[in-house]
Amino acid sequence: MLSPTIPSRPRYSPFALAPAARAHLIVAERSDALENQSVPTGDHAPLEFWAVSGDCRAPVGDTILNGVHTCHFRSASHLLSRLSYRLAIEAIGLHLYVIGTESFIWDVVKLAKQFGMNSDEYHLTHRGSEKRRVYCIHCKTMTDDVTTNIAICAGCGANLLVRDHFSKRLSAFMGVQVDAEVAGEVPAIEEVYP
Amino acid sequence: MNEARTLNLRVQKAELISPSLKHVVLESADRSPLPSVGAGSHIRLSLCENNKKFRNAYSIAAAADDRSAYEIIVRRVEPSRGGSAFIHNTIKAGQTIEADYPGNLFPPSFTAQKHLLISAGIGITPFLSYLSYLRRTQAEVRLHHFCRLDELETFRRLLQPYSTGEVYLHPNSTKIDVANLLQSHPLGTHLYVCGPEKFMETVLGAAKTLHWPSSKLHSESFGGSHAGGAPFVAVLARSGIEVKVGEDQTLLEAIEAAGVEPPSLCRGGACGQCLTEIIDGRPEHRDHYLSPEEHNAGRAMMICVSRAKGNRITLDL
Amino acid sequence: MNIAFKPSETFRDDFTYRNSDDGILRFPFPFAEDKYMYSVNIEPHVPSGPSPAYEHTFDVDEHYIAECRERAIVLEQDPSRCKVLPHMMAAQWDTLELIMESFARDYPRHFSLEKDGAQWSWKNRPLGIEQNFTFGDASTLPFEPFEYITRQAQGDFTLQDQRENNLFVDGGMVTTQADWSLEFDIGMTFHEWHAPVPLAHEIGVFDRALKFLLRLQQEQPVRRLNWTMTVNPRLDTSPENYPAWGPDRASVDQANVAQKVHLRVELQTLFRLPRSNAILFGVRCYLASVEELARVVKWRKRLHRVLRDLPEELEGYKGLSRYRQMVIKHLAPFDDDALLSKGPQPDQASV
Repeated sequence: MLSPTIPSRPRYSPFALAPAARAHLIVAERSDALENQSVPTGDHAPLEFWAVSGDCRAPVGDTILNGVHTCHFRSASHLLSRLSYRLAIEAIGLHLYVIGTESFIWDVVKLAKQFGMNSDEYHLTHRGSEKRRVYCIHCKTMTDDVTTNIAICAGCGANLLVRDHFSKRLSAFMGVQVDAEVAGEVPAIEEVYP
Repeated sequence: MNEARTLNLRVQKAELISPSLKHVVLESADRSPLPSVGAGSHIRLSLCENNKKFRNAYSIAAAADDRSAYEIIVRRVEPSRGGSAFIHNTIKAGQTIEADYPGNLFPPSFTAQKHLLISAGIGITPFLSYLSYLRRTQAEVRLHHFCRLDELETFRRLLQPYSTGEVYLHPNSTKIDVANLLQSHPLGTHLYVCGPEKFMETVLGAAKTLHWPSSKLHSESFGGSHAGGAPFVAVLARSGIEVKVGEDQTLLEAIEAAGVEPPSLCRGGACGQCLTEIIDGRPEHRDHYLSPEEHNAGRAMMICVSRAKGNRITLDL
Repeated sequence: MNIAFKPSETFRDDFTYRNSDDGILRFPFPFAEDKYMYSVNIEPHVPSGPSPAYEHTFDVDEHYIAECRERAIVLEQDPSRCKVLPHMMAAQWDTLELIMESFARDYPRHFSLEKDGAQWSWKNRPLGIEQNFTFGDASTLPFEPFEYITRQAQGDFTLQDQRENNLFVDGGMVTTQADWSLEFDIGMTFHEWHAPVPLAHEIGVFDRALKFLLRLQQEQPVRRLNWTMTVNPRLDTSPENYPAWGPDRASVDQANVAQKVHLRVELQTLFRLPRSNAILFGVRCYLASVEELARVVKWRKRLHRVLRDLPEELEGYKGLSRYRQMVIKHLAPFDDDALLSKGPQPDQASV
């Protein structure tokens, strides 16, 4: 479980279907996201499960797996592309569930917000690595998959302190030059977001 | 807090647009520009009837672009608890009225991609200001207005500036399935409801059944159904004044009638402005502002709508 | 009113910015007591206060022209320092109306506004601007209305949309900030963008402040003060440009501390805007060096005490770690432990 430290650090909840929904759409970064979850069978609103297989050769398209209407995608981008078309034609009453790492979650939420969904219509569950996407505040470049407290900016080479201040809009944590005041004064690098 | 300043207004025009609806145009008494206002805003007028003072809020149905006037529409309510009878019987062109500065407790959503407005009777007034504002934006608008058959023409005239694809009138003589109006709207739609209490309960209830999320439900009650209950005595601790609260007046109204003017704003238990600490006695909460924990703690109350349990309560006023 | 503008002052490179004697005396010194701790400390924004800086809705002072020029430089280098989300257009016009009407009313020698229906005519004499435009039609202005008018005002501004019982910072002109980023924070809620402030969240300051602001009424603006310290009279201490101003912090020594270290005070004002129901948050930034402030007897003693007793977390958060002790050491000899009057007023008529 991610430790929330400051109020801009989002909090995530365990996966659970909202009781009052017209339909449920679950969107996951990995196809095993629902393992160890009991998706209630029987009397609930129509439910679909979309997941990234991460495999170019894996079958895509709609199918029924373990009684659940399922769709697999080759990548997160592939999933987001179809999601945008889907949300454009959806109606009030849809609930969206996002399961995955932080960057994936907020990339999906950004799309949901573009189509007018509010935070009481989507539900976010963190699963997997705590690695961070870091936004270099000085050069506006994103550096992905950061697991350490200090990261080297992929754009301008700065040693960035990876802060806990998080922007949902950018789907990234702020990186600030750690030795701006005295060049070379860089703290020990530790792996803190495994 | 800032001392409440007031506006001195003059009635520019006052005419009946239906047997029980009066349209009033207000300008500044010295013709200076009125404060700018937004869709959904209201103005509270100081009214006097039988030596009783009232301050009633009315939606600003329209505001001149050059800030020269505000328009309101008032329904005559029988029996009048005060206010509507005064407006209907007494208000005429040339008369001056004091008002509080406008406020807004019912603004539209600025992030909504589509606005679905559902109103009944006098509840249309805030939506008249919405329609005027929203036509200048990119958002889609739909208004469904329910009314009595004998007022259909009046509302048709009020809605004439707006295209028929946007506004729909439903006279009560025809049966309408409200649930039908609430289905299949795009994700970015917000729903707004305004009208008598029962009407709003029906529409909002149907919306919840159809899984509208609460962040997209907006309502402004014109019910006035908060008043009334067993009479009691409120002791104002700081002055020692004992206020008798009658069964058909609110605690706030009784305190005002006794000459004390505590801060207040919405007079509907929603805004928090009249929050008053309780020194002794138990409150009967009727507000929408305090949390369940705060209700249980019983240390403060909204005097504009809430009352006392039992026959005596002491307030820090 | 006569304002002796100093148009060529600089807030970068050679840092020629200085306060005149009058500028020092009207400085909004933030400490009413010898100790500092967070509080909501909001009060009505009325046309009176402990210094002339409070007297007008928006204060225009001797640094006006120079600050507008400095803002233009920042925006040229990084246009993203002014950004407004698309749904905030009504708030943009509300802001333009508020600032233009306030300037024209409070400083008629310098600004004038004439209206003929929706045709407005604006004159800004200090900046040499004459602009006719149609209120409500952004195509008749050289910039969108919010950027247009805030380019002609001192201090930063943010626009906050009120919805879902919360405030969202959905727009801003942010070029004179004390270390926060509009590009990063735009779209955040009230608690989210205040997240980095230590201590205050635990004592509920932001919960109460938010509840209060949600009830803010038109025509009843409020204000509060915030403070920090800056090395050199540099307005742009943005996180974006930290690589440029960061080294300043390490350049302070006991010989230059009084000239280099500046008290940075933000006079924050909050207005409920009429058409958008949004909140305009003005952050007017004042700078005075320790040396300038020390010419006021009461201030040099009080500043010493506040800094000496400042909680450690605040030292860290406000970025004072490298030079706080040096400032204290510089001011200590002036502090005779005398009892000082309550309130921030200077208690002297000349410096």
